[in-house]
Amino acid sequence: MLSSRHKLSLLDFLLITLLLGAAGFIIFRITLRLDYDWNWSIIPQYLFRYDQEQGRWVTNYLVEGLLTTLRLSLWSSVLAFALGLLMALARTSSSLFLQLISRCYIELMRNLPPLVIIFIFYFFLADQFLPLLGLDALLAKSSPGLQKLVAFCFSPVSSLIPFLSALITLAVFESAYVAEILRSGIESISRHQWEAAHALGLKRWQTLYYIILPQAFRRVLPPLAGQIISLIKDSAIVSVISIQELTYQGTQLMASTYLTIEVWITIACMYLLLTFPCSTAVSWLERRMSRNQG
Amino acid sequence: MTPMVHPESEQYIIIAEHLNKIYPGSIKALDDFTVKVKKGEVVVVIGPSGSGKSTFLRCLNGLEEVDSGQIIVDNIPLDDNEKHRLEIRREVGMVFQAFNLFPHMTVLENINLAQQLVRKASRKEATAVTRSLLEKVGVANKADSYPEALSGGQQQRVAIARALALMPKVMLFDEATSALDPEMIGEVLDVMRDLAAEGMTMVVVTHEMGFAREVSDRVVFMEDGRIVEAGDTEAFFSAPQQERTNDFLRQIL
Repeated sequence: MLSSRHKLSLLDFLLITLLLGAAGFIIFRITLRLDYDWNWSIIPQYLFRYDQEQGRWVTNYLVEGLLTTLRLSLWSSVLAFALGLLMALARTSSSLFLQLISRCYIELMRNLPPLVIIFIFYFFLADQFLPLLGLDALLAKSSPGLQKLVAFCFSPVSSLIPFLSALITLAVFESAYVAEILRSGIESISRHQWEAAHALGLKRWQTLYYIILPQAFRRVLPPLAGQIISLIKDSAIVSVISIQELTYQGTQLMASTYLTIEVWITIACMYLLLTFPCSTAVSWLERRMSRNQG
Repeated sequence: MTPMVHPESEQYIIIAEHLNKIYPGSIKALDDFTVKVKKGEVVVVIGPSGSGKSTFLRCLNGLEEVDSGQIIVDNIPLDDNEKHRLEIRREVGMVFQAFNLFPHMTVLENINLAQQLVRKASRKEATAVTRSLLEKVGVANKADSYPEALSGGQQQRVAIARALALMPKVMLFDEATSALDPEMIGEVLDVMRDLAAEGMTMVVVTHEMGFAREVSDRVVFMEDGRIVEAGDTEAFFSAPQQERTNDFLRQIL
């Protein structure tokens, strides 16, 4: 292991100075040549604002978007993982039929541009399928408590259908990648482990659940986490179907304030706020697991 | 369909008759191969590598399928019925050359697992059995270690304990000492010797001729999937009938 404390050498200082210089130059150019009026002071009020009526601080535009992105990513990840696991199990099963189904699913999802999938799915889900379930009508009649809970966990009842459509679309798209990652994990476990479990009289699902999957997960944790971070980033794409997540809120705010650079830099920082803790958590988890046993 | 009772099933706990198996590339692993084992017998299977010894063993508990032939273990026919296969695996413990312990579980969990899943024992019952088995194979102090922290000899003894955890009637040993450093072979053979002395029915594939001669009741010498010579251990080693057996024993001893 490298020691965690590195000493900065002269060369490092030189490089840092150079980078700072370059950044300064770019800002200078923007300000001078583009005649750009920096106005950072306007940004904070779009994060939080003071509500006179309620007499307290409430979240505004950008933070609302951040929360929507968070909800969207969280539920999509859960669903993508479940779907991906199903597909990976089908892909590694002995049934030719299941293999074919998962193969088709995975190849289709991986070989289409996500934007195209989103438009197709959004039309199908939001216009045709989800209204059939009558979920929003059901919720509109339900108790305020339940409505509040749904609004907190997912989205307000009024925009629930588009939100669910976006959630499912993202999950379906990402699950193909999750499936491939899990499949490679399952296939990386030696057949000796299967044999040992079979010789003990374990059934196939018991062998998978107790022997193969725990070892496979451990091995694919880094790429799996990478895929979840990917999903957070990819969630920006549902702004095209007017889901009011972070990127969509950004475009709206930019259109009304013309503060292009401030808005997008703020948005970038907010995405980092979501993704950076994820990657940190994963490397912590990896270290912990490798310490427990190899 | 009424179950067919094999006329000899009272006499033999393992009946393997006319087994044939061909691997891709038309390599005959088993060629009209017949072996029957009585209860409490220790049968050693020897032969040059690639002779089909391991294949035979792995067919006995259904890890591999024969192309044709009949296998009956403790009156249970090994056939397309998945239930029969699971029943046989419960009656037959197997020890592998590469130990095949589950690396993500402690020694205790390795041995508890099948008891809890297959025999539906409670965790407490299973742990009690596991502790006594670990005592028996001499690694009682390693119950909470992970396999990677154990020596090869210790791992193989844990693997034997794991195979014994379901109280099997038959134990199969597939070159159980071949992957071990020489100084660890003895400790594993000792455990196997104790098992044989307790009257366990054992089918052992091994290259340890000293062990074979001392512990086994019968020896089967096979080559190219066929039996070259089979007989009582003493007669087999002192007065082999076949020229090929003589050659093989000369090479290996």
